[in-house]
Amino acid sequence: MNDKIRACLENVRKPARYTGGEYNAVYKEKNKVDLRFAFCFPDIYEIGMSHLGSKILYGLLNEMEGVWCERAYAPFLDMEAEMRKRGQPLYALESGDPVGDFDILGFTLQYEMNYTGVLNILDLAGVPLYSHQRTSLSPLVVAGGPCVYNAEPVADFFDIIMIGEGEEMWPELIALYRRAKREKMDKSAFLREAASIGGIYVPSLYDVTYRGNGTVAAITPRESAPPVVMKRVVKDLDKAYYPDKFIVPSTEIVFDRAMVELFRGCRRGCRFCQAGYTYRPIRAKRPETLEKQAKALIASTGWDEVSLTSLSSSDYPHLESLCECLVDYFEPMHVSLALPSLRADSFNLALVENVQKVRKSGLTFAPEAGTQRLRDVINKNLREEDLLEACKVAFAAGYNGVKLYFMMGLPTETDADLLGISQIVRHVIATFREHGKNKARGVRINVGISIFVPKAQTPFQWLGQIGAQEAERRKQFLMESLKIKNVTYSIHNYQTSFLEAVFARGDRRLAPVLERAWRLGCRLDGWDENFDFDAWMQAFSDCGVDPAFYANRELGADELLPWDHISSGVTKRYLFSELERAKQGIATPDCKFACRNCGALRLTGGGKCDV
Amino acid sequence: MFKVRFCFEKTGTAAYISHLDLMKCLQRSFTRAGIPVRYSHGFNPHIEMSIVVPLSTGYESRGDLCDLDLVTDELPADFTDRLNAALPRGMRVLSAKQADRPVNQIAYCAYEIRLPAGDEAAMAALFASPVCVEKKSKRGSREVDLRDYIRKIAFCREGNETVCHCILAAGNDPLNPMYLTKALKNAGFVPEEAAAHYIRTKILDENCQNFYN
Repeated sequence: MNDKIRACLENVRKPARYTGGEYNAVYKEKNKVDLRFAFCFPDIYEIGMSHLGSKILYGLLNEMEGVWCERAYAPFLDMEAEMRKRGQPLYALESGDPVGDFDILGFTLQYEMNYTGVLNILDLAGVPLYSHQRTSLSPLVVAGGPCVYNAEPVADFFDIIMIGEGEEMWPELIALYRRAKREKMDKSAFLREAASIGGIYVPSLYDVTYRGNGTVAAITPRESAPPVVMKRVVKDLDKAYYPDKFIVPSTEIVFDRAMVELFRGCRRGCRFCQAGYTYRPIRAKRPETLEKQAKALIASTGWDEVSLTSLSSSDYPHLESLCECLVDYFEPMHVSLALPSLRADSFNLALVENVQKVRKSGLTFAPEAGTQRLRDVINKNLREEDLLEACKVAFAAGYNGVKLYFMMGLPTETDADLLGISQIVRHVIATFREHGKNKARGVRINVGISIFVPKAQTPFQWLGQIGAQEAERRKQFLMESLKIKNVTYSIHNYQTSFLEAVFARGDRRLAPVLERAWRLGCRLDGWDENFDFDAWMQAFSDCGVDPAFYANRELGADELLPWDHISSGVTKRYLFSELERAKQGIATPDCKFACRNCGALRLTGGGKCDV
Repeated sequence: MFKVRFCFEKTGTAAYISHLDLMKCLQRSFTRAGIPVRYSHGFNPHIEMSIVVPLSTGYESRGDLCDLDLVTDELPADFTDRLNAALPRGMRVLSAKQADRPVNQIAYCAYEIRLPAGDEAAMAALFASPVCVEKKSKRGSREVDLRDYIRKIAFCREGNETVCHCILAAGNDPLNPMYLTKALKNAGFVPEEAAAHYIRTKILDENCQNFYN
């Protein structure tokens, strides 16, 4: 750490976020490595350090001989001000060296509202924002993460976007990068070769043209770039790299615990859920693998909690036996298990109680919609009876509260559906009154309501988000109906959801808007204290872009979509057939019962999903 | 049961670990090192430990103390080595022994304050007469004479820095060394914007002898 960094740290909150030096952070000798890699997370340390994918790639890259992967996160406002005041460029936490001097900057795009964070990091690092402004091979600016299934709004900033899972793509890309350096290839030659690696998307090799009405006319690949970039996946998760060490932060972060990944993909097919489509096909780890990984992580980190993560943990076929075996092992060590993402229709009290022997946490269920009709539309195959049954069992066992998640603004939603939310809540309260173990303590129901954001590569990608006025009306309606004793609720900010919708279905014409908004001071937009909607609107108007065109418009069935050259494996035809079923209110059974040929199995060369 | 008191360094990046975070860091280090710690028996069992004199975030220490209950009857022979292999960067255990002296015998702490080079003689002279500053505590703030808290103070030049060596009150009404910097800034001996670097060197008893000995 140099004196300038030290001087910055004197005046900021939680300086331990900016120092590195945590246990298991990797330090290498600079003269013994030939490739410096900065893993850049466009949100603050507490968020970035909680992200599993970063931990996997950090471990994977540092296992490679001659590669030193370090970390950089978005500084919070106070730290950014100090750095700018003192002329301290963004530095990698391990070495303290300026990120702008690195060979490769790898960003992860987790959330649309982090996009300004990408620009701010590049600028703090002194790196030109646009790919075309960077003519040399280094720094190479690369992105991955869930937003890549439509990264068009940020495509112009990146040299390479990786579609899919990085475990196999990174070693291939790094080998090519080393060869390019050795053979003194120029950047365009390198990018041309990179585009031939499966899953590698080079945005600058595609020309996008638009029609008079604003829709995409054509996406034309150049120089033998593939017409469609197909997602890369790891075929066998048991054999895939998984770190036996995680960096243990020296200050509090959001998910301060070990994590093992039960499976990737989800068999449920909720039609609003991007992850549910883009992580297909379903690939599970064997319980023996998970057991080994969990034990190794606890031994190397000293954490007192290990989380079994996935998109829907109760769908893991061996969950019960795995938990039993982990609890037996960890309980004497004062290590608890966390089981996020449980479904009410497969709620197993014995399992939850067993898992929570060490520490008891709350119960959370996500019915998502208030009526069976609407749940069928969104394909959330959860019946109210199942939810109430789960609550009954839990209340009888002594739980006296539950958190319920819903969405508003879902396709075809009516006031009757919104009213259904408060009805479910009342039924849960009645269930407590009848079955609660400690009736005198009273029940606490916490309702979280978010606003539906149509996402690319889902069946609802064609649908528009509700407008501001209608959102406000529905919000008032919900607030009125949720004035119930023992119930607290929170409703997401519409303005944030609106911007998410703009960028989730945006195209390349949004890049100047992002730049403009960032120049107007927008950054850390996921943080309420810094969210400036007026500045965003100013940016749209300055750039002559109508945000409603992206957020609220229903797209035509035969329209070329801005992300049609990127494939998650699931076919557009399948997504459209799911949209048709949604419009008819027909649910699609989960993949466990029958394969519906969504297309994702092409990625693993056939076979079947692990359901 | 064995009550161990160990002496540790906290330098470089580790200086920025706050007191509460340090407790967590140490607990995780004990687990990683396989130290036979004792857990409390309450509803939420926790490791029985305490950091003897908390240190401000950003300050380095060359000898802080931590008390910890072990389930064993004596100190494991490899305690120090095992713990050292499990600590974050910048932290190092120097020694460990039975926690014998009660912590209320702590009366002073010795600090080094590293400042931009200035007029050392004039700085020393400042503290020869009353130096009044607002001192904040949990009970509010009040005007105090810093000299009531200073047992010893000396200034010297080391390279391009002025180093203040001081022994300040600890215990019930302790003085944070930043007040000395504040006084020096108020008097114009140190530029307002300058960063000061604090290092706690020792924890002392009533007679200014090393408390941990």
